[in-house]
Amino acid sequence: MKQEETSLEGALDSLEQIVEVLEDGKMSLEESLELYERGMKLVSLCQSRLQNAEKRIECLTGELPSDLS
Amino acid sequence: MTQIFTVTELNSRISDRLEGDLRLHDLWARGEVSNYIHHRSGHRYFTLKDREAQISCVLFRSNGGALDFEMNDGKNVLVYGDVTVYRPQGRVQLVARGIKQDEGLGFRHLQLEALKEKLAAEGLFAPERKRPLPRYPERIGIVTSPQGAALRDVLRTLGNYPARIILSPAQVQGEEAEKSIAAALLALRGRSDLIIVCRGGGSTEDLWCFNSEMVARAIFASDAPVISAVGHETDVTVADHVADARAATPTAAAKMAVPDLEEVQEALKYTKVRMMRALWTTLERAEDRLGHLQHVLSARRMYSLARDSRQRLDYLSQRLEGAEAGRLKSHKSRLELLAGRLGAVGPQETLQRGYAIARSGKGLIIKAEDVRPGEDIELILYQGRLRCRVLECRNDEEAML
Repeated sequence: MKQEETSLEGALDSLEQIVEVLEDGKMSLEESLELYERGMKLVSLCQSRLQNAEKRIECLTGELPSDLS
Repeated sequence: MTQIFTVTELNSRISDRLEGDLRLHDLWARGEVSNYIHHRSGHRYFTLKDREAQISCVLFRSNGGALDFEMNDGKNVLVYGDVTVYRPQGRVQLVARGIKQDEGLGFRHLQLEALKEKLAAEGLFAPERKRPLPRYPERIGIVTSPQGAALRDVLRTLGNYPARIILSPAQVQGEEAEKSIAAALLALRGRSDLIIVCRGGGSTEDLWCFNSEMVARAIFASDAPVISAVGHETDVTVADHVADARAATPTAAAKMAVPDLEEVQEALKYTKVRMMRALWTTLERAEDRLGHLQHVLSARRMYSLARDSRQRLDYLSQRLEGAEAGRLKSHKSRLELLAGRLGAVGPQETLQRGYAIARSGKGLIIKAEDVRPGEDIELILYQGRLRCRVLECRNDEEAML
């Protein structure tokens, strides 16, 4: 997987491109299948990123107020 | 002699002293309105100030009719009234009996306008300079007070969105606020994809630090797009003008900063459907193509079959022609042969020797009884024929030569 696809934005951008190419329908069946598989992987990557969201709050100058940490 | 007062006694004494001074009655004071509050009770409270000092003012409801203009912060006014002491708080205040609008803008207001003009001329407010906000920020910097309600509003609204949230604490009120905000912005350099600078509602005074040139330049210099959310809907500061986006409130800023999680999930589901549909279409197209190829292929086969057959036909017909010709030839030679043999057994040579062939209408005449007297017969000679009539039919041996 490419570097930019590890970020949510990168993954969603790649996904958008993949869908467009797929919908364009100019690829061979084999290429389309490959793209489709890659797209599905990206979808689950995005979904897991969205679902495993734990809030990570940090403070640049030391301790967070107790109600936030 | 030292006298010990109770606080009540002290405030009474001050009050008596001030309120007894005729010079502090029926006076006019000039200044700029700030912290203006039109209380539910109908009384109006505000601070009258100039560059150096300020004094609390109140216009009681009973005197409210004396206003012939819209009061608001920043307005320059002339206040007519009396100085009194609000004893419970020991506060000196100006009780207004009438307020007039002072023509001309307040000094601070003028300063602010000058700053805005300067920054605008430098292009700090230019719309084309504003950077687009990232759609899915991974790191969100927040510049605000760690104790403020604004921070809590922002965090609550960001909810479960999967991003690192980096708080860069700042004082958002008071003397040191502008330096503090500028420093907090600088501290986020290289650490965030998006920055929210925010502060909850407050008086014009409280929000003033967001009108500072230092803060404006720090926002402008930020390497990440900045959303500014200062005070309430109606408060628009210089920071709001410079920021890449302005939100009316900290909550609105957080909403602006991240996409709606459910929407993203929905979009992902839809993307899945789109991909499946597209793949399906590709499959169908491939199938169609296959069908077409099959068709073309079989047509081609038919064609080549037909061509083969034609060749075979040509070949056969050639052979046939050859065979026919051969057969004809052999017929001809056989015919000649037969003609030769026929010639050998024919009557011509016999006729040459003086014999004749006799025949009647019924055929050859072999015996006398084949004809009757008076019947016409034909005699075929070697050369020519004779027509004859029978005179007599004798069936005896003498007739034979």
